[in-house]
Amino acid sequence: MPLLPIALSVFRESVRDKVFYNLLLFAVILVAASLLVGQTTAGQDVKIIKDLGLAATSLFGIFIAVFVGINLVWKEVERRSVYNVLSKPVRRPALVVGKYLGLSLTLLVNVSVMALALYAVLAYMNQGFPESVRQAWDAPALDPALLIAFVLILAQLLMMTAVALFFSTFSSPMLSAVFTFGLYVAGHFNADLKNFETIVSLRPVVWVARALYYVLPNLASLDVKSQVVHGQPVAAGYVSLSLLYAAVYIVMLLGAASLIFARRDLK
Amino acid sequence: MHAIETENLTKDYALGFWRKRPYRALDRLTLQVSPGEVFGFLGPNGAGKTTTLKLLMQLVFPTAGRAEILDRPVGDVEVRRRIGYLPENPYFYDHLTAEELLRYYGRLFGLDRATRRQRAGELLDEVGLGAERRLALRRYSKGMLQRVGLAQALLNRPQVVFLDEPMSGLDPIGRRMVRDLILRLRDRGTTVFFSSHILSDAEALCSRVAILAGGRLVSSGRLTDMLAFEVKGWDLVVDGLSADALTGLGPGLIRTTTIAEGRYALELPADARPDEWMARCTALGGRVVSLNPLRETLEDFFVRQVGAHHRRTEPGSNN
Amino acid sequence: MSRRVSRLVAGLVLAGLLASAVGLQLLRDRWYGSPQPADSLLYIRSPETMKRMALSFSGILADLYWIRAVQYYGGRRLSKDPNRNYNQLYPLLDITTSLDPMFNIAYRFGAIFLSEPLPGGAGRPDRAIDLLEKGFRLNPNRWEYPYDIGFVHYWTRQDFAAAAEWFQKASEVPGAPWWVRSMAAVTAAQGGNRRASRMLWQIQLENAESEWVRNNATERLQQLDAMDQIDELTWANRQFASRHGRFAESWDELARAGLVRGRPLDPAGLPYVLDPQSGGVSLSPESPLNPLPTGERGR
Repeated sequence: MPLLPIALSVFRESVRDKVFYNLLLFAVILVAASLLVGQTTAGQDVKIIKDLGLAATSLFGIFIAVFVGINLVWKEVERRSVYNVLSKPVRRPALVVGKYLGLSLTLLVNVSVMALALYAVLAYMNQGFPESVRQAWDAPALDPALLIAFVLILAQLLMMTAVALFFSTFSSPMLSAVFTFGLYVAGHFNADLKNFETIVSLRPVVWVARALYYVLPNLASLDVKSQVVHGQPVAAGYVSLSLLYAAVYIVMLLGAASLIFARRDLK
Repeated sequence: MHAIETENLTKDYALGFWRKRPYRALDRLTLQVSPGEVFGFLGPNGAGKTTTLKLLMQLVFPTAGRAEILDRPVGDVEVRRRIGYLPENPYFYDHLTAEELLRYYGRLFGLDRATRRQRAGELLDEVGLGAERRLALRRYSKGMLQRVGLAQALLNRPQVVFLDEPMSGLDPIGRRMVRDLILRLRDRGTTVFFSSHILSDAEALCSRVAILAGGRLVSSGRLTDMLAFEVKGWDLVVDGLSADALTGLGPGLIRTTTIAEGRYALELPADARPDEWMARCTALGGRVVSLNPLRETLEDFFVRQVGAHHRRTEPGSNN
Repeated sequence: MSRRVSRLVAGLVLAGLLASAVGLQLLRDRWYGSPQPADSLLYIRSPETMKRMALSFSGILADLYWIRAVQYYGGRRLSKDPNRNYNQLYPLLDITTSLDPMFNIAYRFGAIFLSEPLPGGAGRPDRAIDLLEKGFRLNPNRWEYPYDIGFVHYWTRQDFAAAAEWFQKASEVPGAPWWVRSMAAVTAAQGGNRRASRMLWQIQLENAESEWVRNNATERLQQLDAMDQIDELTWANRQFASRHGRFAESWDELARAGLVRGRPLDPAGLPYVLDPQSGGVSLSPESPLNPLPTGERGR
């Protein structure tokens, strides 16, 4: 299977396109914030750093997922390098899936490094507080539950990568970006659709909203940042179901993307 | 067995964004290429050459008809292990070097690491890029990219090679390199199918050609069958003749062209005796520079065929 | 396999995957509850920060926050949790009205949500007044806001002097309807009188611009009716006691004595509860009219 070489080539391209420079910015933000908040808020420092770290991981990741994702297949077609690849023994779906795996690998590395960086800053901050202050926190500084938030953030990013890739098989990067960001925003405000009947009484509208809630990528349900930061438990079953949901959704999008791409004339 | 075979291969593109009109890029092309042949696929710009190659690579899907390579349908991925393809004006990845690119493609072919390294090195030397192998492809000129394109088309030691305008973007040395390469491939028994609008290349390399115009096959066959090989006349170049002496040569000249002071090109009819004319020139104080028989060239043939096609299709034609 | 068949199969597989994704969400929502957006959405509690972050999208964000405030309020009101609170209601409304300072409905409905006593509302008339005062400060041409403040003082806090003062302020706003002035006068003269209250709500009902306000006024009038009826029934039971030396055991007993007709029902259609010990009459605990306002003086 040519999946691995294609995936690795995407990863190498990310490295050479300096995608990982965002990690530097991330580190700077974390360190700067940890120095700054210490002077302004008493006792909430660790919570704020957790909030900031998780939010930045999610935000930086989404930018990578969208802006690299929308170009994955499009650029290859637009610059005609796809002619060379497809004249090799490579099926078109393999190209789509290989590209997806490559960007997924990039995101995995990115999120992992960010998680490590956040734990490092938290470990440093943890030392600065006496035991009495630590007792008052919602959750310990080096809370392993943060990993749940990171894993679910990664799942969100992988879902959005699949969305971006799906659009990039048939539409221009500009349009793909608009569609993908649209779905990202919709995916986060999804819960409002579920409870639409509290503000609208027209039945068909409620049904449409309810249908959209189930069909659009449900990112809000993968967002457990605030529960984790406040030390509230996140059920293992909930996490597994959410991950399974993300996996099914991704496979569906990749299937649709492959199907579309396999039938396209590459003029 | 055929290396390449197409039957009524047809491709329509839809033109226009809102009201789509079909545009027939290729019209019922039927063609066979035998193993070991160097086949020239000729035609003016927009004749459908690139479309045919894309159909053979299944980059686009036919509207009608079928195409086979090595007796397998073009959609068969396994057949791609045995072919090579150079697209027109090839483009690769900015972030890779030529060496990395060839190794990447080598992995797509499933070649092992040692073979990948070895072939990448050999081929880059062969296309004259040995010194630039570690340079990022974004710094490559058009001609250098063309050479990389040739190298990647030969990476898997293919049985059939498809080259779309292999000479384009190359300097005279590059053209010579490609000619030599094609002849070496022929000697190895590789089938070479190349498109071109430069006829001298085809004349120098091909055993058979097909001529395409307006999406239709207008002629195909052996060069020797297509072109009349009997002499149509003679071209005699002389030097050191005065203008008076020229008139003294007498009747029978078809055309006289002045090349420089005292140097003329004389066109003689087919039935003339060139040795007599040469003797006459020498007697008048001139010196013979060259004597060449005039035969029909592929270019004459091409212009005649394509011109006839245009005359046929122009009035009231819709494609 | 022909091309058409393979396309069909691929389509079916994709539809199956979508169905499984929906199914997984249904399962998750069933086992772990529907997502509650309002909790996580107060990530930013400061309206000023929110406004700065909203860039030029403050209008649409205000709408979003208003929708969430309504959902939050509705969700809590319907919730069965005895310990529920409405702690995030005021921040949500504050952000909504900071993002869009002219969000009329957010001030007026928001004040009703806030002033309503627990568990039907936040039980924070002080916050309701804060919200309306902010509205009046930012929109001095709206007589409705001081008028609503008067209502909160009147109905929830029974501060009739303050109510009269605010009604007076409302009547001074150009464009205020004539009856606001009379309301100020009535409240000043006989505030806390049930008849004055009835008049207030009657006016509110007749001038209601929305279904919600109309329903609210109707419910208030029903509560006033219920209070009148409770007074009557208590009086009847006292009559019974003066004749028999004890309070009636049941409505039947009172009915047999000819003091009431049948089992008396409150305006919402639920039977009143009779306490044989104290002789008191009260609403059924299930009645939607609960809790009745306190501090109202009788007719």
